[in-house]
Amino acid sequence: MSNRRSPWLVLATLLVYGFLYAPIAVLMIYAFNSSRTNVVFEGIVNQGPCGPFYWFCVLFKNREVLNAAKNTLTIAFTSTVVSSIIGTMAALALQRYRFPAKPFSEAALYIPIVIPEIVMGIGILVLFSTTFTWLNGLLGLTGDRRLSLGLGTVILSHIAFSIPFVTLVVRARLHGFDKSVEEAAMDLGANEVTTFWRVTLPIIAPGVLSGALLAFTLSLDDFIITFFTSGPGSTTLPIYVYGLLRRIITPEVNALSTVWIGTVLIVVFISQRLESRET
Amino acid sequence: MFKSTLWKTLLALSALGLVLAACGGTTPAPVVKTAPSGFVCPEPQSKSEVTSKELNLFVWTEYIPQDILDCFELQYGIKVNRDEYSANEEMYAKLSAGGTTYDLVQPTDFIVSLMIRQGLLQKLDKSKLAIMGNFDPNYLNFSFDPGNEYTLPYQAGTDAIVVNTDKVKDLPKSWADLWNPDYAGRLVMLDDSRAVIGMTLLTLGYDVNTKDPKQLDEAKAKLAQLVPNVKLFDSDSPKTALIAGDVDLGMTWTGEAFLAQQENAAIQYIYPTEGAILWQDNYAIPANAPHLDAAYAWLNYSMQGDLFWLMLRDFPYTNPNQAALDYAKANQADIYNAYFNSPITNTPPDEIKKGRRIDDVGDALPLYDKIWTEVKGQ
Amino acid sequence: MLQKLRENKSLQGTLLISPTLLWMIALLIIPLILTVIVSFGRRDADGNVIYTFTFNNYLRLAGYNTTTPCGDTPPPCFDSLYMQILWRSLTLALQTTVLVILLAYPLAYFVARSPAKWRNSLIFLILVPLWTNFVIRVYAWIMILRTQGVLNGMLGWVLGLLHIPFAPLEMLYTPGAVLVGMVYEFLPFMILPIYTSLEKIEPSLYEAAADLGANARRTFMRVTLPLSMPGVVAGTILVFIPVMGTFIVSDILGGRQVILVGNLIQRQFLDARDPAFGSASSIILMVLTLIVTIFYTRKFGFGEEIAVV
Repeated sequence: MSNRRSPWLVLATLLVYGFLYAPIAVLMIYAFNSSRTNVVFEGIVNQGPCGPFYWFCVLFKNREVLNAAKNTLTIAFTSTVVSSIIGTMAALALQRYRFPAKPFSEAALYIPIVIPEIVMGIGILVLFSTTFTWLNGLLGLTGDRRLSLGLGTVILSHIAFSIPFVTLVVRARLHGFDKSVEEAAMDLGANEVTTFWRVTLPIIAPGVLSGALLAFTLSLDDFIITFFTSGPGSTTLPIYVYGLLRRIITPEVNALSTVWIGTVLIVVFISQRLESRET
Repeated sequence: MFKSTLWKTLLALSALGLVLAACGGTTPAPVVKTAPSGFVCPEPQSKSEVTSKELNLFVWTEYIPQDILDCFELQYGIKVNRDEYSANEEMYAKLSAGGTTYDLVQPTDFIVSLMIRQGLLQKLDKSKLAIMGNFDPNYLNFSFDPGNEYTLPYQAGTDAIVVNTDKVKDLPKSWADLWNPDYAGRLVMLDDSRAVIGMTLLTLGYDVNTKDPKQLDEAKAKLAQLVPNVKLFDSDSPKTALIAGDVDLGMTWTGEAFLAQQENAAIQYIYPTEGAILWQDNYAIPANAPHLDAAYAWLNYSMQGDLFWLMLRDFPYTNPNQAALDYAKANQADIYNAYFNSPITNTPPDEIKKGRRIDDVGDALPLYDKIWTEVKGQ
Repeated sequence: MLQKLRENKSLQGTLLISPTLLWMIALLIIPLILTVIVSFGRRDADGNVIYTFTFNNYLRLAGYNTTTPCGDTPPPCFDSLYMQILWRSLTLALQTTVLVILLAYPLAYFVARSPAKWRNSLIFLILVPLWTNFVIRVYAWIMILRTQGVLNGMLGWVLGLLHIPFAPLEMLYTPGAVLVGMVYEFLPFMILPIYTSLEKIEPSLYEAAADLGANARRTFMRVTLPLSMPGVVAGTILVFIPVMGTFIVSDILGGRQVILVGNLIQRQFLDARDPAFGSASSIILMVLTLIVTIFYTRKFGFGEEIAVV
């Protein structure tokens, strides 16, 4: 471990961290702006019963925002869980087995990384609508019982673009995996399932969690694909925020960002604490 | 800390929502209904039987007063889902790809005829619409929907010149004046190829909906000369750049100009001599709307005079609903006068006469788009 | 039957991969095939696709117009508009990547050489901005760069103290603002892969180099840098490809005057209602990025450095 920390390096590091966080700081400060037009910071707001937290109170009364937040989290959690499972399975398959579909699968997993989001979004939209039209006709569904775009279609799409990333990360983890541990377990009498559950999985767990984290991040922030695959009542936060930008952007948006960032920081802090307690 | 507050608030709100929903639907309450903001909800003038439990709106952002939404939910006990878009093309792309189930959309005039041709809209059943008599006849029966078979007028307005008179001494009087080299880097223009190319065509004396490649080519050359004056193109919130002082003048529409003027009284709206661009947003029902009864109930309730006047209060556009204007004149004099006395919202009749409306140009559209891409990309 | 499953490794593999295959085929490959089919089509007067087989869209991208005029000249004619857009996107992507590498490397190096107990926290600090909303982050830059924004405000205050006259800088709605926005958005995606590859370097290598008489600079040039290349390459791919395809940053920070390939494609599907041309543009973009990816992975290897944290 090198302890020769050149002051230039430290300075460069601090500057880059500063660069990363400057917009975040600005966002949070402006959440307390007394000016409704939010162009210049005119002082700390002090209005109504919430005082300096006026814009936060406005935010929490906003039904649309809360609904969008609920949708965003639902979609993110569901798609993360499913894509983590499927992605891990795929990683195992690709890293350890030989089968006819292997080259095709490898190539197929490249696609979400290379494809422009708008192409994927529109393509999926067309696919869903054609399928739904056909299925609705076939099964004679009408009115509210018709298959249509909604939370479900968004989740399906999110899973689609998350799987390749999970697979990639878990594969990397499997790369240096020492199989002798598994063989030892089998020698001691464990069958394949037990071996996997109690030997393999714990070892690759950090990789799976990394992949899950990545999938969660991708889902949380997705805009283009969600826009094209969402239906009535399934608006997510990114779409809602993008719509908010269409008018005078009151500090309410900043309050939203602050809450979001604050929540993330708290979650990270707690998970760090838990992790350090385990080691 | 924030997170648990968030969840607690979510829970509380859901509970409140359930209570509200239950209250709204079951009892024919003689009690006066009040929206959360304190606004007293008027009774529906023609209450219809509605079995649907939901209504799916696909509408422009910031275009429906919250009080109207709340009152409708209280009166009918129907849950209103609101999805929003910020460009007609977004709405069209989603609708034409299919698979969506919206009950109402708000297309602007130029895209209505296209949507009708593509079979995306269904004909209105006038027998179910009690509010047909509410509209000012000047806003009915346009060429994009003769006889109003598919659409009802929602709000109208113009695109014209907006100026910060504190910063600009030599005020422009026509579209052509915007080309003044003094304005270099000081303009905000709409990010709307049809509107901007259209106004360029007007400066050349051509039709805004021309399909003639030669005329379009002249327009391209002329527009290319304007671009050095343009600091940014913005169809989301052009007033922001104006108020923030990033730009000093430019092109914007009714609502933006009015709001900008409210923030800074020095900001003026000028109707150009060649004629402003007229537009109108309309209500229409998509062909496969699942909750038709709710849609008609919404139209009848939200557009009755004693409720629709809220548009004057919340969103400053030209209001084609005469019943709403009459109500405001009688009961909300301040708001009505602010609307009536402003040439921005109350467009002068000769400006309407001079104004030009954008219409669909069919296969010439890629030409417009190519010009736009080329000119912007310099 | 279960016994057969146990023995047949190929079958096991196939079963494990089947859900993935299902998803990829249904939601990725089929839409992609559709896009390719549409790219060979035409546009009718209303913007719907006419399914024929013509190369017109691709020719148009390359500069050879068969259906639309080039200014005064009627078709067929040459016009390099789309090639220019492509070139502009490539240049921006390259500039962004280089800047990102320059900013990311010192930070990654610092974190990689930090004591182990700090590393996770430092990494998370890098990830946290990524978990805020993408659009909001871009919007924050508007608040910083605009005429009455934070940066001008601070500059004015500092220069005011020094009694130097100051006119606010016009930073927003310029190509420079777009570059700043792009660098900001994609910086974390370069830091993490470089960090991962740096972290893997055995400390004993540094000691060995020192023992052999190398100074700090030589160690860096001969040991650290080469060993971190896979990370740099992985990061380049994670940055270069999205920059080529994005349109939101150029829209918001460039005042919608900076037209990149992403903007072009988006316009075709929305405003221009020419899905055939849009599809062709998308395919070309994908092919380009595929070429870059394959070239890089052939030369430098791929995969592990994307596995971060």
